[in-house]
Amino acid sequence: MINNIPMLTVGALFVIGLYGVLFKRNIIKIAIAVSIIESSTNLFLIVLGYRTGGSIPVYTLAGEFKKMVLPTPQALTLTAIVIGLATTALLLTLIMLLYKHYGTLDVHEIRRLRG
Amino acid sequence: MSWQVHLPALVVSVPLLGAFISIAMVKPRLRNLWFATILVATTILAFLMWRYVAINGTLVYVMGGERWNLTLPSGMTLPIRIIMEVDAFGAFMALAGSIATLASGLFSVRFLDRVNDGNKFVALFFLLFAGMLGLEVTGDFFNFFVFLEIASVASFGLIAFWRDRPEAIEASFKYAVLSTFVALIFLIGVGILYGVYGTLNMAAIAKNMQVGFLEKLALVLFIVSLAMKSGAVPLHMWEPDAYGQAPAGVSCFLVVVGQASLYGMFRIAFSVYGQAFEGNVLAWVIIVLGLLSMFIGVIMAVIQKEAKRLMAYHCISQTGYMLMGIGLGLLALSSSQAMSEYGFTAMKGGIFHIINNAMYKGLLFLTAGSLFYATGTTNLNKLGGLARKMPYTTFMFAVAAAAIAGLPPFNGFVSKLLIYESSFVVHPFLAVVAMVTSILTLASFVKVFQSGFLGPSRDDLNNVREVPLSMVVGMMVLCVMIISLSMMPNWVLANLIEPAARDLVNQASYIQAVMGSGL
Amino acid sequence: MVLGTVYTGFGFWNVYAWVMFFALGALIVLFLRSTGRGDYEKGTYQDEVFYGGNPVPQDGEDLAVPASSSYWGFTKALSRFYDVLVSMHTGILSDYMGILVVTVAVISILILL
Repeated sequence: MINNIPMLTVGALFVIGLYGVLFKRNIIKIAIAVSIIESSTNLFLIVLGYRTGGSIPVYTLAGEFKKMVLPTPQALTLTAIVIGLATTALLLTLIMLLYKHYGTLDVHEIRRLRG
Repeated sequence: MSWQVHLPALVVSVPLLGAFISIAMVKPRLRNLWFATILVATTILAFLMWRYVAINGTLVYVMGGERWNLTLPSGMTLPIRIIMEVDAFGAFMALAGSIATLASGLFSVRFLDRVNDGNKFVALFFLLFAGMLGLEVTGDFFNFFVFLEIASVASFGLIAFWRDRPEAIEASFKYAVLSTFVALIFLIGVGILYGVYGTLNMAAIAKNMQVGFLEKLALVLFIVSLAMKSGAVPLHMWEPDAYGQAPAGVSCFLVVVGQASLYGMFRIAFSVYGQAFEGNVLAWVIIVLGLLSMFIGVIMAVIQKEAKRLMAYHCISQTGYMLMGIGLGLLALSSSQAMSEYGFTAMKGGIFHIINNAMYKGLLFLTAGSLFYATGTTNLNKLGGLARKMPYTTFMFAVAAAAIAGLPPFNGFVSKLLIYESSFVVHPFLAVVAMVTSILTLASFVKVFQSGFLGPSRDDLNNVREVPLSMVVGMMVLCVMIISLSMMPNWVLANLIEPAARDLVNQASYIQAVMGSGL
Repeated sequence: MVLGTVYTGFGFWNVYAWVMFFALGALIVLFLRSTGRGDYEKGTYQDEVFYGGNPVPQDGEDLAVPASSSYWGFTKALSRFYDVLVSMHTGILSDYMGILVVTVAVISILILL
């Protein structure tokens, strides 16, 4: 059970984020929810690469440990975090401009494009 | 070893270089020159890559190393490096994409004079170009995700380029949230496959693929996320907004970027899963997505009043043809009899439709852009009688509209004919939907032609002129492509389409090109 | 392989046959045109627009059929269907996300089970 807690956390974070994206009306909260989903994905990748009792995956620093955690998911996570940073910044910029134009942050009122 | 083996890396890095240097260009003229140079250079590189692949077969390029794997002292080999793998299908997509991009870039050059921050436009344009070509040459799942995100982030910026218009920001925001979400579920799918197979190399995963629950889950995530990126119904809602609000040159470009996502979907369905996935469910899911896209896309297009929004809905319906054509190929994958009976024809039709759509849909968006440039609006209620004032634009629009509606003798007819005849074998209903869609396509373009170009001239449009030369040249590139695709269909089918279809079907050759004889 | 001919496995398609067909059609049209009346004169009453007996409006805008009126009968006949379709495109981001999640669910049910 205790070994599954990271995975459960991933699931819980994902569901919280999904709830936020689907049911929150404030677009800043939607952006936050997208970030939460992003964190859950990153955590998922890290958890995938973890081996119980493993050391850091750098050969010269690992010391005498026989077991290391997998290095690839960590590299992936770093990249994903950077990409996430870019998208979050862009989302917040767009929200700023939207507020300037529409005067509201309610997602139900930002709907000039329809039909 | 000739320098041409580096082509897959070059087609990605040359636009990236273009992007980062164009930021620093101070003089607009110099920047325009740089823009055109890099565009033409990348298109030539894509063409050379296509030729190299056509002559020498699948091209595998390892980033930063000689070999893609690492052999441990114990004799175990691990696929560790990032590879790029270009087979005939990928090279074909890259070629079609870069021709459309070249046209949209040439079209956009004059548009840049009207804006203050043209440098940023050029930088984003090249980033999007690099992302699109990267999607088509990569052989690695995580790299695919990275290029997907490069392309998405650049396209958010380009869609919101007219940031003084509320609608543009709105469209970009909606697309940004949806696309970030699907990119994340794509990454979860990649994570699942990594957890099972311990590698990110597409060919290595394909070789060891044994479809179980987790692989199916990953497949669902891949299919949905890439279907959303390519704008298949019912995930198409962002597409009319985004294509309708982006600058016209960018809309033309976004069409081929959407097709790059479609490429990813087919690559995963055919080359990674392929025959390891048993049953017809996946094929039917893709076919049904295609049917829905075709029909709902066109039926919504008929009632639109805004030219670019109407064309964006058509883009959805044309995506439906490709999904259906290649979905039929997937349906026939497990039996060689069905493959020779209808599957290969359907795939030829679907792949032919990809290049056709890139050309005529791009041209339509460009004509809408020149309507906007000349009159300041694309609302069809406010246009009329432009045929006398803009003869070149009118001619190009007529050619593109006839081609997209599948009127003989244009190229749209050939690809649609291949799809009709092969889908009829599977079930007549499929062919009927495809034909009704084609008729409604014609109807809605007759509407655009009638209300935009025909009719008496209006007083408020009296001083409209034909657009500048460089825009006409941009449109001309695509127009010449359409006419030549129409006039030599059998050459195109034999040299462009058939190798691509064959490589897509042949999973073993995709794996073998990377893995050699053994792992 | 004949130039420009595509075999689809069921039939064939030749682009040059169609080009010749169109050329023939153009010749017939030109012939018909040449048999027209020769007593047309520019700038006389023959140039006037017949507008149902009413005075012709000056601005072409008053004369043209606007784009939102084209296919009026078609959209009217299918209005129920169109109401449903248009109401699907609400423009609200949360709805689009909802559709996305539902699609993931449906496709997972189809593929996983």
